[in-house]
Amino acid sequence: MGILLFISVLLIAACGLIYELIAGTLASYLLGDSVLQFSTIIGCYLFAMGIGSAMSRYIQRGLAYRFVWIEMLLGVIGGFSSALLFLAFAYSQGFQIIMYALVVVIGVLVGLEIPILMRIVRERYHFRDVVAHVLTFDYLGALGASLLFPILLVPYLGLVRSAMLFGLINVAVALWSTFLFSKQLPATRSLRVICVLVMASLTLGFAQAKRITAAAEDNIYADEIIFARDTRYQHIVLTRFKDDIRLFLNSHLQFSSRDEYRYHEALIHPGLSAIPAPRRVLVLGGGDGLAVREILKYPQVESVTLVDLDPEMTHLFATHPMLTGLNQKSFQSPRVHITNADAFPWVDSNSESFDFIVIDFPDPTNYSLGKLYTTAFYKAVARHLSTQGLMVVQSTSPMFARDSYWCIVETLKQAGLKTYPYHVYVPSFGEWGFVIASAHDYQSPTLLPLGLRFMTVDGMPAMFQFPPDMSPMPMPPNRLNDQVLVRAYDQDWKDISH
Amino acid sequence: MRVSRRKFLEAGSAALLGLSIKGDRQIAGGFVNDSFQLGHKLRDRGSFPASRRVERYGVVIVGGGIAGLSAAWRLHKRGFKDFVLLEMNEQAGGNSRWGENEITPYPWAAHYVPVPGPKTTYVRELFEEFSVLINGVWEERFLCFTPQERLFLYGRWQEGIEPSIGLTANDRDQFRRLEDLIHEFRASGAFTIPMERGLSDKSGDLDRISFHQWLRNQQLDSKVLHWYMNYCCRDDYGALAADTSAWAGIHYFASREPEDKGPLTWPEGNGWIVKRLLERVGSFVKTGQVVHRINRTGKNYSVFAGEVEYKAECVIFAAPTFLAPYIVEGMAPLHDFEYSPWLTANLTLERLPSNYGTDLTWDNVVMDSPTLGYVDAMHQTLRSHIERTVWTFYWSLADGAPATNRRLLLERDWSYWKEAILHDLERVHPDIRQCVSRIDVMRFGHAMARPKPGTIFSKERRQLAIQEGRVLLANSDLSGFSIFEEAQYRGVRAAEKALDFIGRA
Repeated sequence: MGILLFISVLLIAACGLIYELIAGTLASYLLGDSVLQFSTIIGCYLFAMGIGSAMSRYIQRGLAYRFVWIEMLLGVIGGFSSALLFLAFAYSQGFQIIMYALVVVIGVLVGLEIPILMRIVRERYHFRDVVAHVLTFDYLGALGASLLFPILLVPYLGLVRSAMLFGLINVAVALWSTFLFSKQLPATRSLRVICVLVMASLTLGFAQAKRITAAAEDNIYADEIIFARDTRYQHIVLTRFKDDIRLFLNSHLQFSSRDEYRYHEALIHPGLSAIPAPRRVLVLGGGDGLAVREILKYPQVESVTLVDLDPEMTHLFATHPMLTGLNQKSFQSPRVHITNADAFPWVDSNSESFDFIVIDFPDPTNYSLGKLYTTAFYKAVARHLSTQGLMVVQSTSPMFARDSYWCIVETLKQAGLKTYPYHVYVPSFGEWGFVIASAHDYQSPTLLPLGLRFMTVDGMPAMFQFPPDMSPMPMPPNRLNDQVLVRAYDQDWKDISH
Repeated sequence: MRVSRRKFLEAGSAALLGLSIKGDRQIAGGFVNDSFQLGHKLRDRGSFPASRRVERYGVVIVGGGIAGLSAAWRLHKRGFKDFVLLEMNEQAGGNSRWGENEITPYPWAAHYVPVPGPKTTYVRELFEEFSVLINGVWEERFLCFTPQERLFLYGRWQEGIEPSIGLTANDRDQFRRLEDLIHEFRASGAFTIPMERGLSDKSGDLDRISFHQWLRNQQLDSKVLHWYMNYCCRDDYGALAADTSAWAGIHYFASREPEDKGPLTWPEGNGWIVKRLLERVGSFVKTGQVVHRINRTGKNYSVFAGEVEYKAECVIFAAPTFLAPYIVEGMAPLHDFEYSPWLTANLTLERLPSNYGTDLTWDNVVMDSPTLGYVDAMHQTLRSHIERTVWTFYWSLADGAPATNRRLLLERDWSYWKEAILHDLERVHPDIRQCVSRIDVMRFGHAMARPKPGTIFSKERRQLAIQEGRVLLANSDLSGFSIFEEAQYRGVRAAEKALDFIGRA
């Protein structure tokens, strides 16, 4: 019986350590700062074990019976701890409270088991041998667990199933004990039935672990992601948080539905309202249809041509009910014509002229996109401007990417255009910049469409003024053969994030 | 890292599969446009059919590479239309030939022209005519886009081909010293393009030693610096620095003073220039015409090709000069002309390698590879998004004797070269075999003149380069090295001489 008893010691020691490691790892995964998480969890756990040991003196009778129950409780609580913590993180605000409570309960139970066990077996051996053997196997179990955990358990089973497995082992020890200590137990049968039932539920939990984590992760991430797709051209992600819908292209925020009206009103109206009789409008980029929504507020506009690379993007914003709500079904208007094409070759091969051209591309984060911010590109676009024509360019942030912003202004100048830089505050973006460019002088409008939420005629002059921290920087133009903009943009954002 | 058992098994079985069968994409291709047979027939004085009819022209141009086409361009521009250009291959262009598939046009050899300096007047004139240079400003679309060049070394890419990472203080110091020396040579005015304009006997000593020796003499012994110098010589001359005249090695660096961020390049390389030239003079060009004899008949010269005897007052021989003694009656054999063999390949990629990076880079070089790397034909596209592309792979067989390497070129079959190319590329792109669907290989036995020591100041070369009499030699090899500017210069000069002569006559 001796060796079997001490193997039980080894197993329960391993179980105790595994629960502690799982709590530490989970907290590090979910909350970060692994040093803090592990330190506080180990501290709490050891302290709770101390409480458990102290409490053991109050247990005077029915030692074996209580030992079986402690093992069973440990199996259930420890076994489901990981799943419980995942779900707590996903569905409740009190993850940390629940976690420390669990750690304390497990710690107290683990603290109880060894003193009780030692007292159960003290009649059979010399006290000297009991202490030596129990502690030896206790520490051996700890060593085994600490090696198994990172090498096998986390990589191959994951945290949820590892906890379930060791919960099973814990209950198995309980079941085992009913045989080991049968003489000291009053009613072994009912205890055994309970053990089997608990083991069955843990086995079921083990089998369903994937669904538990999936349910938890759904709530951590997926509820916010309402759409995600890798198209041929980009990675599109739409997220929702309460009433805020956000679009990310290749992880870069494109708009937040809470304040996009500021961006799109500012993009369109200072230019379009300044044109006496705008009939034909071209939008390059802008596959979300939000710029088009603003353009359609002008009844004089007869046609809007939108050129966007990605058909899946324009299709999404033409059909998804939540998104057509945002762009007010602008893509369904008979005035709107959508072309899915690469902008530079399209501009080069097309010969139509337009009264207003909107250039709304993603920021110049790489040289491929940078081509769409060059003197060559702006010259090609300018050829499409009618005599009264204006163009407007989204030009990154004059605050966070000041060099980049003024580089775009200089590039437009070098393309032979007069430039009228302006900026606006968009909470989700920060201070954002645009440039109106044209062959002739620009006069800011005296009348705006009705129903705007942000733009006013009175508020406009301030948009064209740049305070000292955003004022012009001397920058060279961005050319196809010398893309200074992409390097400047990279540097600008590095400066901010470091 | 979290490795699931399934992933582990998958990786393991993939590795086992990899050992047993090559799970690669089928790669098609073959040799294209070989002209060995025709060349060897000329060399071996094979028999050609007798001529059946006579055509008369003021000028006959032999060879439709850049030199010949430039001669034609000049004649045409001067209003002289009484000429014909005979090209041996089915496609004109010589080293500036190009190909085209459903993805993009691509070059077969020469693929760029450095932004010409103010002294390179004929090239500037040509580029003004082609709207490459407009009111003193170079057209942005024809200048090489960013990012231009990168070098793979120590397991990563760096921007630019001159090594700049992992240099010791000594390496840096040597690069700086070399730059200072080059600066002096540039200021001396002896290293110009065209080379003839600045050539001065004062720098004759430099032609007696190899570039490698000259570097050693300057106590420039940095390994990295020597790698770079060798790369430059292999790239421009198809030769190692030890086989290159020090004069030529210095000329490579000292002759150019870029005034704009270049070079000028097009998807089809210098084939773009050939296309523009052919738009003007294409109707004067006859391809598939092997000129096998040129001799004097009374007052005129007769040029024999196919069934026709072309009688001309003047002949511009713009084909490689090494062919001339086999064709031009009474011409002595040559001793000072050597040529480097090359191999180029065009690889069709169905997708970019997974470790390629976001942006296409124009020229991609791997340190310590025997090859020169690859150039992306889609680099000059205006598109923001590309999926398929064509890479032009360059390999000058510089190590070893040219004759031995020429034999190697002839003896090995296409799969040998295909494997060699893929092995070379696998060093940087492990999944290249899954990306490539086609590899076409072109072999050039005599790709370019090799300026070995003694070439530049060779009496023979200088004598033949003078362009005397009525058979005017015009190939770029008369400059000692084959670059676009020299070919164009000699072609234009020959046309001017021919017009002078005809005007006099």
